[in-house]
Amino acid sequence: MKMSPEYSKAQANMQPGVITADGFLGDDKRPIVDIIADDEATMETLGVSFDEAVARMRHLMEEGRKGLEEPVTVDGNWIVRVSEARGFLPSPFEDGIFRKVNAQVELMQNGTPTGESVLYSELGMHLLEKYHFMQGVGAAFRMDPERLKRVLQL
Amino acid sequence: MNLAYFVAPLAVSGISAALAALISITDRIVNNYGEVTIDVNSGSKKLEVNGGANLLVTLAESGIFVPSACGGRGSCGECKVKVNSDVGPHLPTEIPYLDKDQIQNNVRLSCQVKLKTDIGIEIPEYLFKIKQYTGTVERIRDVTHDIKEVYFKLDDGQTVDFRAGQYGQIEVPPYDKVKDRTQRAYSMSSVPSDTNHVEFLVRLVPGGIVTTYVHDRLKEGEKMKVIAPFGEFYVRETDATMICVAGGSGMAPFKSIFYDFIEKDKMKDRDIWYFFGARTKKDLFYLDELEKMQNEHERFHFVAALSEPQPEDEWEGETGLITEVLGRYLKEEISQEKPKEGYLCGSPGMLDACMAVMREHGMTEDKIYFDKFA
Ligand SMILES: Cc1cc2nc3c(=O)[nH]c(=O)nc-3n(C[C@H](O)[C@H](O)[C@H](O)COP(=O)(O)OP(=O)(O)OC[C@H]3O[C@@H](n4cnc5c(N)ncnc54)[C@H](O)[C@@H]3O)c2cc1C
Ligand code: FES
Repeated sequence: MKMSPEYSKAQANMQPGVITADGFLGDDKRPIVDIIADDEATMETLGVSFDEAVARMRHLMEEGRKGLEEPVTVDGNWIVRVSEARGFLPSPFEDGIFRKVNAQVELMQNGTPTGESVLYSELGMHLLEKYHFMQGVGAAFRMDPERLKRVLQL
Repeated sequence: MNLAYFVAPLAVSGISAALAALISITDRIVNNYGEVTIDVNSGSKKLEVNGGANLLVTLAESGIFVPSACGGRGSCGECKVKVNSDVGPHLPTEIPYLDKDQIQNNVRLSCQVKLKTDIGIEIPEYLFKIKQYTGTVERIRDVTHDIKEVYFKLDDGQTVDFRAGQYGQIEVPPYDKVKDRTQRAYSMSSVPSDTNHVEFLVRLVPGGIVTTYVHDRLKEGEKMKVIAPFGEFYVRETDATMICVAGGSGMAPFKSIFYDFIEKDKMKDRDIWYFFGARTKKDLFYLDELEKMQNEHERFHFVAALSEPQPEDEWEGETGLITEVLGRYLKEEISQEKPKEGYLCGSPGMLDACMAVMREHGMTEDKIYFDKFA
Protein backbone atom coordinates (compact mmCIF):
# COMPACT_ATOMS: atom_id res chain seq x y z
CA MET A 1 0.00 0.00 0.00
CA LYS A 2 1.22 3.52 -0.80
CA MET A 3 2.32 5.60 2.17
CA SER A 4 1.59 9.28 2.81
CA PRO A 5 4.59 11.52 3.59
CA GLU A 6 3.47 11.49 7.26
CA TYR A 7 3.67 7.71 7.42
CA SER A 8 6.97 7.57 5.48
CA LYS A 9 8.46 10.04 7.98
CA ALA A 10 7.09 7.97 10.86
CA GLN A 11 8.59 4.79 9.40
CA ALA A 12 11.98 6.53 9.18
CA ASN A 13 11.65 7.67 12.80
CA MET A 14 10.83 4.10 13.83
CA GLN A 15 14.22 2.74 12.75
CA PRO A 16 16.53 1.58 15.54
CA GLY A 17 18.51 4.36 17.12
CA VAL A 18 16.38 7.27 15.94
CA ILE A 19 13.96 7.65 18.85
CA THR A 20 14.56 4.46 20.81
CA ALA A 21 17.56 2.14 20.84
CA ASP A 22 15.81 -0.79 19.14
CA GLY A 23 13.16 1.05 17.16
CA PHE A 24 9.53 0.06 16.69
CA LEU A 25 9.72 -2.44 13.87
CA GLY A 26 11.66 -5.46 15.15
CA ASP A 27 12.54 -7.69 12.20
CA ASP A 28 9.49 -6.56 10.25
CA LYS A 29 10.40 -5.19 6.83
CA ARG A 30 6.83 -4.30 5.78
CA PRO A 31 5.73 -0.69 5.30
CA ILE A 32 3.87 0.41 8.43
CA VAL A 33 0.60 0.86 6.55
CA ASP A 34 0.70 -2.87 5.76
CA ILE A 35 1.53 -3.79 9.37
CA ILE A 36 -1.44 -1.67 10.45
CA ALA A 37 -3.81 -3.12 7.84
CA ASP A 38 -2.88 -6.72 8.74
CA ASP A 39 -3.29 -6.10 12.47
CA GLU A 40 -6.61 -4.30 11.92
CA ALA A 41 -7.87 -7.32 10.02
CA THR A 42 -6.73 -9.67 12.80
CA MET A 43 -8.37 -7.51 15.48
CA GLU A 44 -11.60 -7.56 13.52
CA THR A 45 -11.51 -11.35 13.19
CA LEU A 46 -10.86 -11.59 16.92
CA GLY A 47 -13.79 -9.29 17.59
CA VAL A 48 -11.68 -6.84 19.61
CA SER A 49 -11.93 -3.09 19.11
CA PHE A 50 -8.89 -0.86 19.49
CA ASP A 51 -10.78 1.46 21.84
CA GLU A 52 -11.67 -1.43 24.10
CA ALA A 53 -8.07 -2.64 24.17
CA VAL A 54 -6.69 0.82 24.93
CA ALA A 55 -9.29 1.41 27.67
CA ARG A 56 -8.26 -1.84 29.42
CA MET A 57 -4.56 -1.04 29.02
CA ARG A 58 -5.05 2.43 30.44
CA HIS A 59 -7.03 1.08 33.40
CA LEU A 60 -4.32 -1.48 34.19
CA MET A 61 -1.57 1.11 33.89
CA GLU A 62 -3.41 3.52 36.19
CA GLU A 63 -4.01 0.82 38.80
CA GLY A 64 -0.46 -0.50 38.45
CA ARG A 65 0.98 2.96 39.04
CA LYS A 66 -0.41 2.85 42.56
CA GLY A 67 2.19 0.21 43.40
CA LEU A 68 4.94 2.84 43.01
CA GLU A 69 7.04 0.48 40.89
CA GLU A 70 6.07 -2.63 42.90
CA PRO A 71 3.87 -5.35 41.38
CA VAL A 72 0.18 -5.04 42.30
CA THR A 73 -2.75 -7.36 41.74
CA VAL A 74 -5.50 -5.65 39.75
CA ASP A 75 -9.15 -6.81 39.79
CA GLY A 76 -7.95 -10.24 40.93
CA ASN A 77 -6.99 -11.03 37.31
CA TRP A 78 -3.66 -9.42 36.61
CA ILE A 79 -0.31 -8.72 38.21
CA VAL A 80 0.78 -5.32 36.97
CA ARG A 81 4.15 -3.71 37.44
CA VAL A 82 4.53 -0.15 36.24
CA SER A 83 7.99 1.37 36.03
CA GLU A 84 8.82 4.90 35.08
CA ALA A 85 11.85 6.87 34.03
CA ARG A 86 11.62 10.61 34.26
CA GLY A 87 11.38 12.47 30.99
CA PHE A 88 9.53 12.19 27.72
CA LEU A 89 9.88 10.45 24.38
CA PRO A 90 8.58 11.91 21.09
CA SER A 91 6.10 9.97 18.98
CA PRO A 92 7.52 8.72 15.65
CA PHE A 93 4.56 10.52 14.02
CA GLU A 94 5.88 13.74 15.60
CA ASP A 95 2.51 14.45 17.16
CA GLY A 96 3.42 14.73 20.82
CA ILE A 97 5.68 13.57 23.61
CA PHE A 98 4.97 10.76 26.06
CA ARG A 99 6.20 9.69 29.45
CA LYS A 100 8.63 6.79 29.65
CA VAL A 101 6.16 4.67 31.58
CA ASN A 102 6.09 0.91 31.05
CA ALA A 103 3.42 -1.54 32.22
CA GLN A 104 4.20 -5.25 32.44
CA VAL A 105 0.86 -7.05 32.74
CA GLU A 106 0.71 -10.73 33.63
CA LEU A 107 -2.51 -12.74 33.47
CA MET A 108 -3.60 -14.75 36.51
CA GLN A 109 -5.89 -17.75 36.58
CA ASN A 110 -7.55 -18.83 39.82
CA GLY A 111 -5.22 -16.53 41.70
CA THR A 112 -2.05 -18.00 40.14
CA PRO A 113 0.20 -16.17 37.66
CA THR A 114 0.07 -17.85 34.23
CA GLY A 115 3.44 -16.58 33.02
CA GLU A 116 1.81 -14.97 30.00
CA SER A 117 2.27 -11.22 29.84
CA VAL A 118 2.31 -8.11 27.69
CA LEU A 119 4.62 -5.11 27.94
CA TYR A 120 3.54 -1.69 26.75
CA SER A 121 4.39 1.95 27.29
CA GLU A 122 2.44 5.19 27.31
CA LEU A 123 3.78 5.91 23.82
CA GLY A 124 2.74 2.41 22.69
CA MET A 125 -0.84 3.08 23.82
CA HIS A 126 -0.90 6.32 21.86
CA LEU A 127 0.29 4.55 18.69
CA LEU A 128 -2.36 1.91 19.18
CA GLU A 129 -5.18 4.32 19.87
CA LYS A 130 -4.49 6.91 17.20
CA TYR A 131 -2.88 4.87 14.41
CA HIS A 132 -3.83 1.25 15.22
CA PHE A 133 -0.09 0.62 15.09
CA MET A 134 0.81 -2.42 17.17
CA GLN A 135 4.53 -2.30 16.19
CA GLY A 136 6.50 -4.64 13.95
CA VAL A 137 6.83 -8.37 14.55
CA GLY A 138 9.85 -8.98 16.79
CA ALA A 139 9.78 -5.50 18.38
CA ALA A 140 10.17 -5.61 22.17
CA PHE A 141 7.05 -3.46 22.58
CA ARG A 142 4.97 -5.27 19.91
CA MET A 143 1.35 -5.62 21.03
CA ASP A 144 0.40 -8.81 19.28
CA PRO A 145 -3.43 -8.92 18.75
CA GLU A 146 -3.93 -12.54 19.85
CA ARG A 147 -1.76 -12.17 22.91
CA LEU A 148 -3.43 -8.88 23.77
CA LYS A 149 -6.85 -10.51 23.60
CA ARG A 150 -5.75 -13.42 25.81
CA VAL A 151 -3.81 -11.50 28.41
CA LEU A 152 -6.16 -8.53 28.68
CA GLN A 153 -9.23 -10.80 28.61
CA LEU A 154 -10.88 -8.79 25.81
CA MET B 1 10.30 41.14 29.37
CA ASN B 2 7.42 38.83 30.10
CA LEU B 3 9.10 35.69 31.38
CA ALA B 4 5.74 33.97 31.75
CA TYR B 5 6.13 32.97 28.12
CA PHE B 6 8.84 30.59 29.02
CA VAL B 7 8.24 27.31 30.67
CA ALA B 8 10.32 27.68 33.78
CA PRO B 9 11.61 24.16 34.28
CA LEU B 10 14.10 23.69 31.54
CA ALA B 11 13.07 20.60 29.73
CA VAL B 12 15.87 18.82 28.12
CA SER B 13 15.19 15.14 28.07
CA GLY B 14 14.51 13.76 24.64
CA ILE B 15 16.23 12.85 21.46
CA SER B 16 19.40 14.51 20.27
CA ALA B 17 19.33 18.00 18.84
CA ALA B 18 21.93 16.62 16.45
CA LEU B 19 19.08 15.35 14.29
CA ALA B 20 17.71 18.83 13.76
CA ALA B 21 21.23 20.08 13.19
CA LEU B 22 21.81 17.51 10.44
CA ILE B 23 18.70 18.55 8.53
CA SER B 24 19.57 22.19 8.79
CA ILE B 25 23.19 21.67 7.77
CA THR B 26 22.05 20.02 4.51
CA ASP B 27 19.71 22.94 3.85
CA ARG B 28 22.44 25.44 4.56
CA ILE B 29 24.75 23.82 2.01
CA VAL B 30 22.05 23.94 -0.67
CA ASN B 31 20.82 27.49 0.12
CA ASN B 32 23.36 30.10 1.09
CA TYR B 33 21.64 32.61 3.38
CA GLY B 34 24.80 34.54 4.30
CA GLU B 35 25.49 36.15 7.65
CA VAL B 36 22.63 37.38 9.85
CA THR B 37 22.52 39.16 13.20
CA ILE B 38 20.57 37.95 16.22
CA ASP B 39 19.87 40.77 18.65
CA VAL B 40 19.24 39.17 22.04
CA ASN B 41 17.29 41.13 24.67
CA SER B 42 17.47 44.53 22.96
CA GLY B 43 21.21 44.78 22.57
CA SER B 44 22.29 42.74 25.59
CA LYS B 45 24.04 40.39 23.12
CA LYS B 46 24.52 40.62 19.35
CA LEU B 47 25.35 37.38 17.58
CA GLU B 48 26.74 37.32 14.03
CA VAL B 49 25.81 33.88 12.69
CA ASN B 50 25.36 32.03 9.42
CA GLY B 51 21.75 32.01 8.28
CA GLY B 52 19.85 29.00 7.06
CA ALA B 53 19.51 26.89 10.20
CA ASN B 54 16.71 27.13 12.71
CA LEU B 55 16.93 29.54 15.61
CA LEU B 56 17.20 26.79 18.26
CA VAL B 57 20.24 25.16 16.67
CA THR B 58 21.89 28.47 15.78
CA LEU B 59 21.55 29.73 19.34
CA ALA B 60 23.00 26.46 20.66
CA GLU B 61 25.95 26.82 18.27
CA SER B 62 26.47 30.28 19.75
CA GLY B 63 26.39 28.93 23.30
CA ILE B 64 22.79 29.83 24.20
CA PHE B 65 20.82 26.75 25.15
CA VAL B 66 17.07 27.22 24.83
CA PRO B 67 15.12 24.35 26.44
CA SER B 68 14.15 21.50 24.14
CA ALA B 69 12.49 18.22 24.98
CA CYS B 70 12.16 16.82 21.49
CA GLY B 71 15.43 17.75 19.82
CA GLY B 72 13.85 20.33 17.54
CA ARG B 73 11.09 18.21 16.06
CA GLY B 74 8.35 20.68 16.87
CA SER B 75 6.67 18.17 19.15
CA CYS B 76 7.33 19.42 22.68
CA GLY B 77 6.59 23.15 22.62
CA GLU B 78 9.41 23.84 25.08
CA CYS B 79 11.66 25.99 22.88
CA LYS B 80 9.57 29.18 23.03
CA VAL B 81 11.27 32.48 22.30
CA LYS B 82 9.71 35.90 21.85
CA VAL B 83 10.62 37.31 18.45
CA ASN B 84 10.61 41.09 17.97
CA SER B 85 11.00 41.17 14.20
CA ASP B 86 9.01 39.83 11.27
CA VAL B 87 9.88 36.20 10.57
CA GLY B 88 6.66 35.38 8.75
CA PRO B 89 3.42 33.97 10.08
CA HIS B 90 3.23 31.18 12.66
CA LEU B 91 3.54 27.73 11.11
CA PRO B 92 0.84 25.10 11.60
CA THR B 93 3.39 23.13 13.63
CA GLU B 94 3.66 25.98 16.15
CA ILE B 95 0.00 26.81 16.71
CA PRO B 96 -0.94 23.86 18.98
CA TYR B 97 1.72 24.86 21.52
CA LEU B 98 0.87 28.57 21.77
CA ASP B 99 -2.02 30.37 23.44
CA LYS B 100 -3.75 33.47 22.05
CA ASP B 101 -1.54 35.89 23.99
CA GLN B 102 1.62 34.19 22.86
CA ILE B 103 0.54 34.25 19.22
CA GLN B 104 -0.31 37.94 19.50
CA ASN B 105 3.08 38.67 21.07
CA ASN B 106 4.92 36.72 18.38
CA VAL B 107 6.21 34.04 20.72
CA ARG B 108 7.60 31.33 18.45
CA LEU B 109 8.92 27.80 18.67
CA SER B 110 12.59 28.51 18.03
CA CYS B 111 13.09 25.15 16.34
CA GLN B 112 10.50 26.12 13.72
CA VAL B 113 11.92 29.56 12.91
CA LYS B 114 14.39 29.50 10.07
CA LEU B 115 17.00 32.25 10.15
CA LYS B 116 17.02 34.07 6.85
CA THR B 117 17.40 37.72 7.87
CA ASP B 118 18.40 39.75 10.94
CA ILE B 119 16.22 39.04 13.93
CA GLY B 120 15.55 40.35 17.45
CA ILE B 121 14.60 37.96 20.26
CA GLU B 122 13.86 38.03 23.98
CA ILE B 123 14.90 35.24 26.31
CA PRO B 124 15.19 34.98 30.10
CA GLU B 125 18.59 36.03 31.43
CA TYR B 126 19.11 32.72 33.24
CA LEU B 127 19.59 30.97 29.90
CA PHE B 128 22.92 32.80 29.58
CA LYS B 129 24.24 30.78 32.52
CA ILE B 130 23.76 27.47 30.74
CA LYS B 131 26.99 26.33 29.17
CA GLN B 132 28.35 23.33 27.39
CA TYR B 133 31.28 21.66 29.13
CA THR B 134 33.63 18.93 28.07
CA GLY B 135 34.70 16.53 30.72
CA THR B 136 36.50 13.28 31.37
CA VAL B 137 34.92 10.47 33.33
CA GLU B 138 37.07 10.24 36.43
CA ARG B 139 35.16 7.52 38.31
CA ILE B 140 32.26 5.15 37.75
CA ARG B 141 30.89 3.27 40.74
CA ASP B 142 27.96 0.88 41.18
CA VAL B 143 25.88 2.17 44.06
CA THR B 144 23.11 -0.42 43.56
CA HIS B 145 22.48 -3.23 41.09
CA ASP B 146 20.92 -0.72 38.65
CA ILE B 147 22.33 2.70 39.60
CA LYS B 148 25.78 3.99 38.68
CA GLU B 149 27.47 7.01 40.17
CA VAL B 150 29.39 8.81 37.42
CA TYR B 151 31.90 11.51 38.37
CA PHE B 152 33.23 13.83 35.64
CA LYS B 153 36.15 16.19 35.77
CA LEU B 154 35.63 19.23 33.60
CA ASP B 155 38.48 19.84 31.16
CA ASP B 156 40.95 22.72 31.04
CA GLY B 157 40.09 24.62 34.17
CA GLN B 158 36.39 24.94 33.26
CA THR B 159 34.13 25.54 36.25
CA VAL B 160 30.41 25.05 36.61
CA ASP B 161 28.16 27.34 38.65
CA PHE B 162 24.90 25.70 39.77
CA ARG B 163 22.46 25.55 42.66
CA ALA B 164 22.23 22.28 44.55
CA GLY B 165 19.22 20.42 43.13
CA GLN B 166 19.58 21.51 39.50
CA TYR B 167 20.25 19.17 36.63
CA GLY B 168 22.51 18.88 33.60
CA GLN B 169 22.29 17.14 30.28
CA ILE B 170 24.81 14.53 29.28
CA GLU B 171 25.45 13.63 25.70
CA VAL B 172 26.46 10.16 24.57
CA PRO B 173 28.02 9.38 21.19
CA PRO B 174 26.43 7.20 18.48
CA TYR B 175 26.74 3.46 19.21
CA ASP B 176 25.30 0.24 17.78
CA LYS B 177 22.17 1.19 15.88
CA VAL B 178 22.03 4.65 17.44
CA LYS B 179 23.30 6.93 14.67
CA ASP B 180 23.21 10.30 16.40
CA ARG B 181 24.52 11.84 19.56
CA THR B 182 21.81 11.67 22.25
CA GLN B 183 21.22 13.90 25.25
CA ARG B 184 19.30 13.20 28.45
CA ALA B 185 18.75 15.10 31.70
CA TYR B 186 20.34 13.98 35.01
CA SER B 187 20.25 15.72 38.37
CA MET B 188 23.68 16.72 39.60
CA SER B 189 24.57 14.91 42.81
CA SER B 190 27.88 16.66 43.40
CA VAL B 191 28.19 19.60 45.76
CA PRO B 192 28.22 22.98 43.95
CA SER B 193 31.52 23.98 45.60
CA ASP B 194 33.24 21.18 43.67
CA THR B 195 33.18 23.52 40.68
CA ASN B 196 35.39 21.52 38.35
CA HIS B 197 33.45 18.28 38.72
CA VAL B 198 29.89 17.11 38.19
CA GLU B 199 28.46 13.85 39.42
CA PHE B 200 25.31 12.04 38.29
CA LEU B 201 23.40 8.98 39.49
CA VAL B 202 22.17 7.07 36.45
CA ARG B 203 19.56 4.36 36.82
CA LEU B 204 19.39 1.74 34.07
CA VAL B 205 16.20 1.88 31.98
CA PRO B 206 15.77 -1.38 30.06
CA GLY B 207 16.07 -0.62 26.34
CA GLY B 208 17.04 3.01 27.08
CA ILE B 209 19.50 4.70 24.72
CA VAL B 210 21.55 6.75 27.17
CA THR B 211 21.31 4.56 30.27
CA THR B 212 22.34 1.45 28.29
CA TYR B 213 25.37 3.37 27.05
CA VAL B 214 26.29 4.60 30.52
CA HIS B 215 25.84 1.17 32.11
CA ASP B 216 27.39 -1.05 29.42
CA ARG B 217 29.93 1.08 27.59
CA LEU B 218 31.00 4.21 29.39
CA LYS B 219 34.56 3.86 30.69
CA GLU B 220 36.69 5.84 33.09
CA GLY B 221 38.93 8.20 31.07
CA GLU B 222 36.29 8.69 28.37
CA LYS B 223 35.44 12.22 27.19
CA MET B 224 31.85 13.43 27.56
CA LYS B 225 29.84 16.57 26.97
CA VAL B 226 27.70 18.06 29.71
CA ILE B 227 25.33 21.01 29.36
CA ALA B 228 24.30 22.67 32.62
CA PRO B 229 22.73 23.99 34.80
CA PHE B 230 18.99 23.61 34.24
CA GLY B 231 15.92 23.54 36.43
CA GLU B 232 13.97 25.15 39.20
CA PHE B 233 14.46 22.43 41.80
CA TYR B 234 16.49 23.98 44.59
CA VAL B 235 15.90 24.82 48.23
CA ARG B 236 13.83 27.94 48.96
CA GLU B 237 15.48 30.18 51.55
CA THR B 238 12.96 30.01 54.40
CA ASP B 239 12.98 28.35 57.81
CA ALA B 240 10.06 26.03 57.02
CA THR B 241 10.51 22.34 57.85
CA MET B 242 11.74 20.54 54.73
CA ILE B 243 9.91 17.33 53.89
CA CYS B 244 12.10 15.64 51.27
CA VAL B 245 11.04 12.43 49.55
CA ALA B 246 12.98 10.40 46.99
CA GLY B 247 13.30 6.98 45.47
CA GLY B 248 15.96 5.44 43.19
CA SER B 249 18.10 7.95 41.34
CA GLY B 250 15.93 10.67 42.93
CA MET B 251 18.62 10.57 45.63
CA ALA B 252 20.87 12.68 43.37
CA PRO B 253 19.67 16.25 43.99
CA PHE B 254 19.29 15.59 47.74
CA LYS B 255 22.87 14.39 48.04
CA SER B 256 23.94 17.70 46.52
CA ILE B 257 21.54 19.73 48.69
CA PHE B 258 22.51 18.10 52.01
CA TYR B 259 26.27 18.34 51.46
CA ASP B 260 25.82 21.95 50.34
CA PHE B 261 23.92 22.62 53.59
CA ILE B 262 26.68 21.00 55.64
CA GLU B 263 29.37 23.07 53.92
CA LYS B 264 27.40 26.25 54.48
CA ASP B 265 26.61 25.30 58.09
CA LYS B 266 22.87 25.43 57.38
CA MET B 267 21.93 22.05 58.86
CA LYS B 268 21.26 23.73 62.20
CA ASP B 269 18.90 26.33 60.72
CA ARG B 270 15.81 24.23 59.98
CA ASP B 271 14.27 20.81 60.47
CA ILE B 272 14.84 18.44 57.59
CA TRP B 273 13.08 15.12 57.13
CA TYR B 274 14.42 12.93 54.33
CA PHE B 275 12.28 9.93 53.33
CA PHE B 276 13.83 7.44 50.93
CA GLY B 277 11.77 4.54 49.58
CA ALA B 278 13.12 1.33 48.12
CA ARG B 279 11.91 -2.20 47.58
CA THR B 280 14.59 -4.28 49.27
CA LYS B 281 17.89 -3.54 50.94
CA LYS B 282 19.76 -4.01 47.68
CA ASP B 283 17.95 -0.94 46.33
CA LEU B 284 19.17 1.23 49.20
CA PHE B 285 22.42 3.19 49.01
CA TYR B 286 24.44 5.84 50.84
CA LEU B 287 22.92 4.42 54.04
CA ASP B 288 26.07 4.85 56.12
CA GLU B 289 26.61 8.41 54.91
CA LEU B 290 23.02 9.41 55.65
CA GLU B 291 23.02 7.77 59.08
CA LYS B 292 26.24 9.58 59.90
CA MET B 293 24.63 12.82 58.75
CA GLN B 294 21.69 12.14 61.07
CA ASN B 295 23.97 11.44 64.02
CA GLU B 296 25.98 14.61 63.46
CA HIS B 297 23.11 17.00 62.76
CA GLU B 298 20.35 17.13 65.31
CA ARG B 299 17.72 18.67 63.03
CA PHE B 300 18.32 16.23 60.15
CA HIS B 301 16.18 13.08 60.18
CA PHE B 302 16.65 10.23 57.73
CA VAL B 303 13.86 7.68 57.25
CA ALA B 304 14.48 4.78 54.88
CA ALA B 305 11.52 2.54 54.12
CA LEU B 306 11.46 -0.84 52.40
CA SER B 307 8.27 -1.96 50.70
CA GLU B 308 9.29 -5.62 50.42
CA PRO B 309 12.15 -6.38 52.81
CA GLN B 310 13.60 -9.86 52.29
CA PRO B 311 14.40 -12.19 55.23
CA GLU B 312 18.12 -11.89 54.45
CA ASP B 313 17.83 -8.08 54.68
CA GLU B 314 17.34 -8.35 58.45
CA TRP B 315 15.60 -5.00 58.14
CA GLU B 316 14.57 -3.27 61.33
CA GLY B 317 13.60 0.06 59.82
CA GLU B 318 10.30 1.29 58.43
CA THR B 319 8.35 -0.94 56.07
CA GLY B 320 5.59 -0.16 53.56
CA LEU B 321 5.21 2.11 50.58
CA ILE B 322 6.98 5.41 51.06
CA THR B 323 3.61 7.19 50.85
CA GLU B 324 2.29 5.22 53.84
CA VAL B 325 5.40 5.94 55.88
CA LEU B 326 5.31 9.61 54.90
CA GLY B 327 1.63 9.84 55.93
CA ARG B 328 2.40 8.23 59.28
CA TYR B 329 5.26 10.62 60.04
CA LEU B 330 3.31 13.68 58.93
CA LYS B 331 0.55 12.67 61.31
CA GLU B 332 2.51 11.46 64.31
CA GLU B 333 6.15 12.56 64.27
CA ILE B 334 6.54 15.89 62.54
CA SER B 335 5.48 19.08 64.26
CA GLN B 336 2.06 20.25 63.05
CA GLU B 337 2.77 23.81 64.15
CA LYS B 338 5.67 24.77 61.91
CA PRO B 339 5.19 25.64 58.23
CA LYS B 340 6.38 22.94 55.83
CA GLU B 341 7.84 22.75 52.34
CA GLY B 342 7.86 19.61 50.23
CA TYR B 343 10.79 18.61 48.01
CA LEU B 344 10.18 15.60 45.78
CA CYS B 345 12.37 13.69 43.37
CA GLY B 346 11.51 10.35 41.82
CA SER B 347 9.20 8.79 39.27
CA PRO B 348 6.14 10.81 38.24
CA GLY B 349 3.93 8.16 39.89
CA MET B 350 5.74 8.60 43.19
CA LEU B 351 5.54 12.37 42.86
CA ASP B 352 1.76 12.31 42.34
CA ALA B 353 1.20 9.92 45.23
CA CYS B 354 3.40 11.92 47.63
CA MET B 355 1.74 15.18 46.62
CA ALA B 356 -1.63 13.66 47.50
CA VAL B 357 -0.37 12.59 50.95
CA MET B 358 1.16 16.02 51.56
CA ARG B 359 -2.08 17.75 50.58
CA GLU B 360 -4.03 15.46 52.90
CA HIS B 361 -1.81 16.69 55.72
CA GLY B 362 -2.41 20.34 55.03
CA MET B 363 0.60 21.12 52.85
CA THR B 364 -0.18 23.38 49.92
CA GLU B 365 0.88 22.74 46.34
CA ASP B 366 2.64 26.08 45.97
CA LYS B 367 5.06 24.93 48.68
CA ILE B 368 5.80 21.54 47.11
CA TYR B 369 8.75 21.60 44.72
CA PHE B 370 9.88 19.13 42.06
CA ASP B 371 11.23 19.16 38.52
CA LYS B 372 8.04 19.83 36.62
CA PHE B 373 9.28 18.39 33.39
CA ALA B 374 10.41 15.22 35.04
C1 LIG C 1 14.72 16.92 34.97
C2 LIG C 1 15.11 15.48 34.85
C3 LIG C 1 16.05 14.95 35.71
C4 LIG C 1 16.40 13.60 35.61
N1 LIG C 1 17.34 13.10 36.47
C5 LIG C 1 17.68 11.81 36.40
C6 LIG C 1 18.65 11.26 37.32
O1 LIG C 1 19.21 11.95 38.17
N2 LIG C 1 18.96 9.95 37.20
C7 LIG C 1 18.36 9.13 36.26
O2 LIG C 1 18.69 7.95 36.20
N3 LIG C 1 17.44 9.64 35.39
C8 LIG C 1 17.10 10.95 35.43
N4 LIG C 1 16.20 11.45 34.52
C9 LIG C 1 15.69 10.57 33.45
C10 LIG C 1 16.64 10.62 32.26
O3 LIG C 1 16.66 11.91 31.69
C11 LIG C 1 16.24 9.64 31.13
O4 LIG C 1 14.92 9.90 30.73
C12 LIG C 1 16.34 8.19 31.56
O5 LIG C 1 17.63 7.93 32.08
C13 LIG C 1 16.06 7.24 30.38
O6 LIG C 1 16.90 7.57 29.30
P1 LIG C 1 17.29 6.50 28.20
O7 LIG C 1 17.90 7.24 27.05
O8 LIG C 1 18.08 5.39 28.77
O9 LIG C 1 15.88 5.88 27.79
P2 LIG C 1 15.06 6.17 26.45
O10 LIG C 1 15.70 5.47 25.31
O11 LIG C 1 14.84 7.64 26.29
O12 LIG C 1 13.65 5.54 26.79
C14 LIG C 1 13.44 4.16 27.00
C15 LIG C 1 11.94 3.98 27.16
O13 LIG C 1 11.28 4.32 25.94
C16 LIG C 1 10.09 3.58 25.78
N5 LIG C 1 10.21 2.77 24.55
C17 LIG C 1 11.34 2.23 24.03
N6 LIG C 1 11.04 1.56 22.90
C18 LIG C 1 9.71 1.68 22.70
C19 LIG C 1 8.81 1.19 21.72
N7 LIG C 1 9.22 0.45 20.69
N8 LIG C 1 7.49 1.48 21.85
C20 LIG C 1 7.04 2.22 22.87
N9 LIG C 1 7.84 2.71 23.84
C21 LIG C 1 9.16 2.45 23.75
C22 LIG C 1 9.97 2.69 26.97
O14 LIG C 1 9.16 3.35 27.93
C23 LIG C 1 11.43 2.56 27.44
O15 LIG C 1 11.55 2.22 28.79
C24 LIG C 1 15.82 12.79 34.62
C25 LIG C 1 14.88 13.34 33.73
C26 LIG C 1 14.52 14.65 33.84
C27 LIG C 1 13.52 15.22 32.87
S1 FES D 1 12.38 21.78 20.50
FE1 FES D 1 10.56 20.72 20.82
S2 FES D 1 9.11 21.98 19.85
FE2 FES D 1 10.93 23.00 19.48
